[in-house]
Amino acid sequence: MTGNLRVIIAGGGRVGFQTAIHLADRGDAVTIIEPDGETVDRVADEWIATVIQGDATNPDILEQAGIDRADVVAGLTGKSGVNLATCLAATELNPAVRTVARIEESDGDAYTELVDAVVFPESAGAKVAANEIAGSDIETVADITADVDVMHIRVAEGAPAAGKQLSEVRFPSGTLVISDGGGVATPELALTAGEQYLVAVEPDVVDEVVQLFHG
Amino acid sequence: MSGQRNRSPEAELGLLDASMIGMGAMIGAGIFVLTGLAAELAGPAALLVFVLNGVVTAFTALSYAELASAIPKSGGGYAFVREIFDDFPSFMMGWMLWFAYMIAGGLYALGFAPNFIELLHVYGLSPAPDTVGTVAVPGIGLAVPPGLGLAFFAVLLFVAINAVSTAASGSVETIFTATKVTILLVFVAFGATSPMFSSAEFQPLFPAETGVYALLPAMGLTFIAFEGYDLITTVTEEVKNPRENIPKAIFVSLAATIVVYVAVVSVAIATLGADGLAAAGEAGIAQAATEFMPTGLPIIKNGGAIIVFGAVFSTLTALNAVVIASSRVAFSMGREGQLLPRFGKIHHRYGTPFAAILGSALVMLGSVALPTQSAGNMSSLFFLLSFVVVNGAVIKLHRERPDMDRPYELPYYPLPPILGIVLNLVLAVVLIVFLVRTDPLALLLSAGWLGVGAIGYMSRDRLLPSRRPEDEPSPDAVSEDD
Repeated sequence: MTGNLRVIIAGGGRVGFQTAIHLADRGDAVTIIEPDGETVDRVADEWIATVIQGDATNPDILEQAGIDRADVVAGLTGKSGVNLATCLAATELNPAVRTVARIEESDGDAYTELVDAVVFPESAGAKVAANEIAGSDIETVADITADVDVMHIRVAEGAPAAGKQLSEVRFPSGTLVISDGGGVATPELALTAGEQYLVAVEPDVVDEVVQLFHG
Repeated sequence: MSGQRNRSPEAELGLLDASMIGMGAMIGAGIFVLTGLAAELAGPAALLVFVLNGVVTAFTALSYAELASAIPKSGGGYAFVREIFDDFPSFMMGWMLWFAYMIAGGLYALGFAPNFIELLHVYGLSPAPDTVGTVAVPGIGLAVPPGLGLAFFAVLLFVAINAVSTAASGSVETIFTATKVTILLVFVAFGATSPMFSSAEFQPLFPAETGVYALLPAMGLTFIAFEGYDLITTVTEEVKNPRENIPKAIFVSLAATIVVYVAVVSVAIATLGADGLAAAGEAGIAQAATEFMPTGLPIIKNGGAIIVFGAVFSTLTALNAVVIASSRVAFSMGREGQLLPRFGKIHHRYGTPFAAILGSALVMLGSVALPTQSAGNMSSLFFLLSFVVVNGAVIKLHRERPDMDRPYELPYYPLPPILGIVLNLVLAVVLIVFLVRTDPLALLLSAGWLGVGAIGYMSRDRLLPSRRPEDEPSPDAVSEDD
């Protein structure tokens, strides 16, 4: 009945590393596969993930990363080819695993025949850059990430917060349930299992909030 | 898992703080409660008992340091083993460790009670501990020894505190530890300079009838005094530069603890004598102190009261630590689907692992009814067994994941984990043999706990054949932050 994921990330560079930080904040168990020794040390210093040094497309390395028990494998290196090969090898070793591959061009929908999802991080980065350049007072949700994460969280069946009114649940300080999609949340708002809620959370307490929503 | 509500965003615990957490968990009840009992078994060789236990523990400490540096999970022993072993072995590891902490809770509560009565006695508020009879509980018409009642009440108190509020942070722990160590140093300083010390008698070192073999059961009994450095691995998130500081903190805290223990036990044996120490039992150190500490001081009157206070304070802080530690094990097991899922949930109002704390409290309250020595034996036995598994995990990990990054790699692999396994097993076997002769109840309860766990695990698998945590649908937390 775990609410947390076991994730294998191929690539401990900028994208893989930042992704691992976000996942670790939520309490997910992350293993990073990275061939470069210096990058391995940098990731190890942050103490967020187990690190396997090696080539993620090598089945032996994937075994060492615990592919048999993983929920998700994400190929997040800078090379589409490596990422896709990692995902395909992972599926071969554990057919139940969900695969996510980072790709190098924006129109990579065709790849979803091979993997469960594709990401093109440059698009999100470009959005942030555009917002900064415009210097607007109104920014999209994605930019306020430094201090607050804005998340859509679905309440799981049987979770501690399921079926409770907002006023009954004591969230850790640094949490604000914003909306249930139908308006701004009031203290009487009931948290219903299966429904999604928009929540602003400080990174430090994300794991606790996820536990309340997911059990 | 983080229960802390106001966790600071910056990592703030340095090497000193992290070491203090380990020392605080180790130097607590064990030294105050078990020195007398060790002297009873081994005579003046009780001193050797503590040194040797420190050496045995050092091998396991190396294993903990390597695992903690490579697996950034703040769940301690169970989390590491869960990462490496299959379902059943990791379940049994958690099951054993959970029990060890709970029984340790009972042990600390039992150690607290006589010391507390001694503290009252020093101020003339109650008769001497051994002369107190039973106290009738009004309303129930039941007569309970006051020690038992006190121990029971202490467990209830700390369970209640931890059930409704999240844990105190590392900096509070540093103050607690500094207090405990200071009190022990005062004890050592006054003891070593007292006239009783100069006429110290350490001969014969070993008891006449059992000789050097008396060491082993005494080591088994007091092994728990070196349990606690693993708590350092439960606060990793808050430690600065953890991959360097965690292994260092483990070694520093263990080394410092051995030094403190050796000093305290030497002074206790030298002043009170092994026989006197043995007679005083759980309140051994406290009684030794009242022998040589200056009297007639302002306010506190009797200098010995400081030491007795230290014993009361240490047993209570240790009790608090194991209430937290045991519920964390149960909580982690619940989250992994290895105990009732309810145990793996935090309470919607209190933010604490409420069910895990209450579940642990039941066993802890029950264990208060045990004789102190049985509680010490059982708790030590289960720590020994779980440490065998931790050492095994290091070896298994080296074989199966050779390419895993190990920021701290233990020296002379595979010697330390193999020695750790062998020595811990030897102590466990000696302890079991000793229990067969002297304490069949403790052995029966231990075997019963393992049996209940194994049967419970099997029947759960039979009832819910397809329910494995890996099969759960992925949570759909969608972050919009990048």
